[in-house]
Amino acid sequence: MGAAPRNLLAGLLLVATPAGPGSAGELPIVDAHIHYSADAWEMLPPEDAVRLLREAGIRRAFVSSSSDDGTQKLLAAAPDLIVPVLRPYRRRGELSTWMHDPAIVAHLEDRLARFRYAGMGEFHVYGGDADLPVVRRMVELARGHGLFLHAHSDAAAVERLFAQDPDARILWAHSGFDGPGNVRTMLERHPRLWCDLAFRSDHAPGGRLDPEWRALLEDFPDRFMLGTDTFAPERWHSVGRHAAWSRGWLAELAPPLAERIAWRNAEALAGAAGAGR
Amino acid sequence: MTGRALARIAAAVVAVLLSAGAAADAGAADPAETARILRHGPWPMPWRPDPGNRLSGDAAAAALGRALFADPRLSADGSVACATCHRPDLHWTDGRPRSAGLAAGDRNAPSLVDVRRWRWFGWDGASDSLWAASLRPVLDPREMGGSIAALAGLVRGDPVLAGLYRQALGRAPLADDTALAVDAAKALAAFQETLASGRSPFDRFRDGLAAGDADAVSAYPADARRGLALFVGRGNCSVCHLGPAFTSGEFEDVGVGYFLERGRVDPGRADGIARLKASPFNRLGPWGDGGGADAAATRHVASQPRDFGLFKVPSLRNVARTAPYMHHGRLATLEAVVRHYSEVDEERLHPGRARLVRPLRLSEGEAADLVAFLRSLTSDER
Ligand code: HEC
Ligand code: HEC
Ligand SMILES: [Zn+2]
Repeated sequence: MGAAPRNLLAGLLLVATPAGPGSAGELPIVDAHIHYSADAWEMLPPEDAVRLLREAGIRRAFVSSSSDDGTQKLLAAAPDLIVPVLRPYRRRGELSTWMHDPAIVAHLEDRLARFRYAGMGEFHVYGGDADLPVVRRMVELARGHGLFLHAHSDAAAVERLFAQDPDARILWAHSGFDGPGNVRTMLERHPRLWCDLAFRSDHAPGGRLDPEWRALLEDFPDRFMLGTDTFAPERWHSVGRHAAWSRGWLAELAPPLAERIAWRNAEALAGAAGAGR
Repeated sequence: MTGRALARIAAAVVAVLLSAGAAADAGAADPAETARILRHGPWPMPWRPDPGNRLSGDAAAAALGRALFADPRLSADGSVACATCHRPDLHWTDGRPRSAGLAAGDRNAPSLVDVRRWRWFGWDGASDSLWAASLRPVLDPREMGGSIAALAGLVRGDPVLAGLYRQALGRAPLADDTALAVDAAKALAAFQETLASGRSPFDRFRDGLAAGDADAVSAYPADARRGLALFVGRGNCSVCHLGPAFTSGEFEDVGVGYFLERGRVDPGRADGIARLKASPFNRLGPWGDGGGADAAATRHVASQPRDFGLFKVPSLRNVARTAPYMHHGRLATLEAVVRHYSEVDEERLHPGRARLVRPLRLSEGEAADLVAFLRSLTSDER
């Protein structure tokens, strides 16, 4: 069982078509922050979910779900589209308790033995909790499998994760909801830190780029990526709007930079996982 | 808050502490809590007519509006009046989860009591004035399916309505359809402005607390008092249901879900902003009477990704009279609403820094207390 999915993942990352699946000339997007959790499955079966992604011109989606079965369902429906990310939650409602629950480790080991992933996350951990044993073990597992960490964390927790594994690659969910000044400091300090812009709009209030954010995106052209964050299943129906909104402010940037933020950076992060370390 | 207001509250707190040892047991707790309670009054608050509606506050216009409100001829087939969905005997709601006019709708009909106080109208805020919100249902094919021309024709052609119009505006009904329909909508607004909630047991308690009136404070039921402590305290409810009207008037997500069916969701505020901006009847358009000076909020509001699935924070005054609850009416009772806040799925709330809604894990007693508090917001008179 092990080898085939690995090849699958590596293969799909190689066959990336530069034009993307959207309408002609539309900037393709990798959505790096998608969840397909249990409460989505009934109202939004996999074929509907995949159709929403394709209609939005999403060429790849990083998907993590509570439970991981959701990710596997989507991956089966669209292996070319889905970049599987392993969430340390077995069901909904574990987001503030998982780091205290040793059973999570066994859960992760079991999934890692059975399926292939590009990353580990999105998990929620703040401050000193990042040094709890369950979190440490998760970081070790990610390291062993060459997975990036998708961390919904404050800067303090990100620091602790890097202290545990200086070679880790961390995708900082929502850029930590931090201001551009602090995000800059973190990017300067950590060359293996990437940031998603999910569920925030202060970088483009009213759809226009904020000058301080613009400078940040230009100074760190390889580090940012987009995300819708379908934390509630209904939000799947906003993926298209979010893509359109993102294309709006991306158009203010030089096309090479816009492409990097829209998809190349995310593609590179996922690709590094497929290649191992 | 101004320094003077703070000083007033502090004085009130001191008055309570000094004057009423018994009241302190039954009513007041710590000064911070008292200050939070006092912010939910006094009631009624002052109200100013809408600068965007020159008929606002006008009694003769309200008489025309009252007649229009009850008139099913506003609908395409003469079967649906405003009062079909906003029934006076049901506190100006229809008591149904989702309203049905000419066709089935997706949303719960809100009460119109105190409606003059809001800035945005509809669960999604698609209207920025009461008069524009009153024209919307006339034109909505699922509600009344009428038209500007039909509404104008009705007012022009019906002797009673034309007479009421003449009394309100001092002239014969206008020849221009849109101008006349807008006048009718403004009269509908003037009528709804007269629907105001009175004082409730909570208001008597709150004012007693402010005045150091031990009798007024101790008359408030103990379960409602404990529920109030939850409401302004651990429950975090007054962060959104704030002030004397128990609403911020803005849009939030409390995790109730907004799928309509497979393949369809109610996008809430995200579409509301789009519809508001597109409407010729918004405050920036030519039909308002505020000359744009009243349009700052409308000018500045801009859709962001986070607006998807946000709905207006409803007032909680008289909430015991307006079941069922939420924008889709899926929660049948106040007990169900409180259970929702007690058990809400944290993961489906947006992951921003300020988590305003968290599962409260209330005991049975606490849940009952919170319901008792919500019931104490019911006005005495109807
Ligand atoms: C078919 C049922 C129905 C009819 C008929 C109807 N309404 Fe409503 N009303 C609703 C519903 C449902 C909403 C919530 C709409 C939304 O969120 O978009 C509403 C909302 C409103 C609001 C906004 C209230 C608030 O607090 O935001 C006002 C004002 C209003 N209606 C007035 C009227 C008037 C005036 C009429 C007649 C011209 C009318 N309605 C006819 C069902 C109805
Ligand atoms: C984050 C802001 C927020 C907080 C905090 C909040 N609410 Fe709400 N409340 C809302 C919104 C928004 C709605 C309407 C949601 C919808 O229809 O989708 C609502 C609806 C309600 C309703 C239904 C009213 C009606 O007419 O349908 C009740 C009752 C209520 N809330 C009580 C409470 C209580 C009690 C608490 C504290 C435990 C609380 N709320 C905390 C924003 C909030
Ligand atoms: Zn997320």
